[in-house]
Amino acid sequence: MLKMHNIRKSYRTDTIETHALRDFSLEVNEGEFVSVTGPSGSGKTTFLNIAGLLETPTGGQYLLDGQEVGNLSDRDRSRLRNEKIGFIFQGFNLIPDLNLFDNIDVPLRYRGFNAKERRRRIEKSLEQVGLSARAKHLPAQLSGGQQQRVAIARALAGEPRFLLADEPTGNLDSLMARQVMELLEFINEWGTTIVMVTHDPDLARRAQRNIQIVDGQVSDLRQSIAQPEIASA
Amino acid sequence: MFELKPMLSALWRNKVSALLIALQLALTLAIVSNASVIVKDRMEQVARPTGMDVENIIAATYMPIPTEYDMAGAVVADLDLLRSTPGVVDASVTNQIPLSGSGSAGTYFTEPNQEIGGENANYYQVDSHFINTLGLNLIEGRSFVPADEHVIGPNDQYHSKMAVVSKQFAEKLYPGESAIGKFFYSGANDNPVEIIGVVEQHLGAWPGWSRAGNVVFFPLLVTGNHKRYLIRTEPGQRDEVFKKVEDLLNERDPQRVVHVETLSENVQRTYISDNIMIKVLSLVMALLTFIVALGIIGLTIFWINQRTKQIGIRRALGATRANISRYFLVENALIAGTGLGLGTAGALIINQLMVSEFSQPALTLPLLAVCAIVLLLVSIAAALMPAMRAANISPAMATRSV
Repeated sequence: MLKMHNIRKSYRTDTIETHALRDFSLEVNEGEFVSVTGPSGSGKTTFLNIAGLLETPTGGQYLLDGQEVGNLSDRDRSRLRNEKIGFIFQGFNLIPDLNLFDNIDVPLRYRGFNAKERRRRIEKSLEQVGLSARAKHLPAQLSGGQQQRVAIARALAGEPRFLLADEPTGNLDSLMARQVMELLEFINEWGTTIVMVTHDPDLARRAQRNIQIVDGQVSDLRQSIAQPEIASA
Repeated sequence: MFELKPMLSALWRNKVSALLIALQLALTLAIVSNASVIVKDRMEQVARPTGMDVENIIAATYMPIPTEYDMAGAVVADLDLLRSTPGVVDASVTNQIPLSGSGSAGTYFTEPNQEIGGENANYYQVDSHFINTLGLNLIEGRSFVPADEHVIGPNDQYHSKMAVVSKQFAEKLYPGESAIGKFFYSGANDNPVEIIGVVEQHLGAWPGWSRAGNVVFFPLLVTGNHKRYLIRTEPGQRDEVFKKVEDLLNERDPQRVVHVETLSENVQRTYISDNIMIKVLSLVMALLTFIVALGIIGLTIFWINQRTKQIGIRRALGATRANISRYFLVENALIAGTGLGLGTAGALIINQLMVSEFSQPALTLPLLAVCAIVLLLVSIAAALMPAMRAANISPAMATRSV
């Protein structure tokens, strides 16, 4: 599903060059649930941004679903994000001016679905997260856990093959965190590949595989790369 | 894909700032369109054909110093001298200089002994060279000949038997038929004046007058304490002749005060208030449009800064750069459309007041539409730069904790 080989990412200012990822290699198989942990500043978010096509790597090779994505245009990257990747963010990232229905509608509109198909998907995804009755509510009228479930519904509505979760329970209390985690496990059982960045070791242990990033590199290659099949970049 | 419904929902939740910009646009349209109608009216007035060869005409006014002065003799001698001057096409005597803002008017009737009704017209007392000197286009009948001219004293009672009139005046007196050979009467008397010729156009003394273009020429020289000459030169010779005229007249008879100016200067002076009005209102329109553009730029930048994270989220969810630019442009167009809709109503209401209270020209729908389209284009152009900047916000903004 996801293959990264010798990915590098550096940020440059006038005087300083910071290496966020260095020779980062990782493979995530179809249907896997992988957790990514590591100390603050280790490169977890940079990895997530590159994996989710939110940023381009400085070097290396990245295959998503068998497609080399390093040289894609911004437009093609947007299309791939929209069609194949679902995002769940720590801060929920719902649009405060839109009700739940319209929030979930945002990526579906970019996908070009007609109104009927969008409605079908929105209603189905709201039902999956148990918020059908709240479709016309604004995000501010919901609890944190409910907002995160809306964010999950938004990701699910596009029926992505790959779900990227950035600290999905970071802003939730333990009960809500458990509910969200159970929901993610349920989604994974349907066949969706999930990569979850988390600080919480208990949550990380619930994933099928845990990858630790330290100083921009995978700290345990045995855990991250089963059999690299990518030719050198 | 314009996301109109969610966009309207979002706008409704930020309605105060959106409404302020819409009201600013509405006010701008109301003012600009009404100012435009005044500017257009004034420009049309200034650009109206005068019927005269204005660029090549010189006007000379003189006042004799002696109290006893042979005015009639002086006029004949002066005109002979002027007509023989190189570069001069023709010269004529007149009681008033056209387009100078100074002139005389009378009320004329098609039946004798009437006092009510009639048509007002600006009249000139001229000689047989007048029509040629001004370069007027005689479209019907004939011009005056020397035998038609009469010389009278300032206190003499004399009624001209004939006149040349402007086409506009002829059509007012005798609509739909030729006025040649027909008569009119000056005031409540029974002295008929035969119309012997019709000129295509002559604006008269006062271009701003509601009857401007109603003009009558009588073949008459009234001697008095001053006289005016009009001199038409060959094209390109006006300035050369201008330098000589005052000297020529003073050399022929030094017992008088002579003042020479071009007809263009007269016209400029006559239209000075119109030209100032055009410039001031144009400046006001440009400033208002500029201010509204600044307002739109400011609001769009403010909203983009306020929604940087939201733009990043949209980009992360699959919005292309074009989607983001389009979102802000459409949002701006919705605000502009609301403002221009309100402004259209406001413009029409203000115009009704201006027409009824200040006799200003009526605002036409095409002119209002042009103003609205220009303001819409300005608002789109104003939002374009910030919208393009918004499109460059990285989708990685979605994962940043800002």
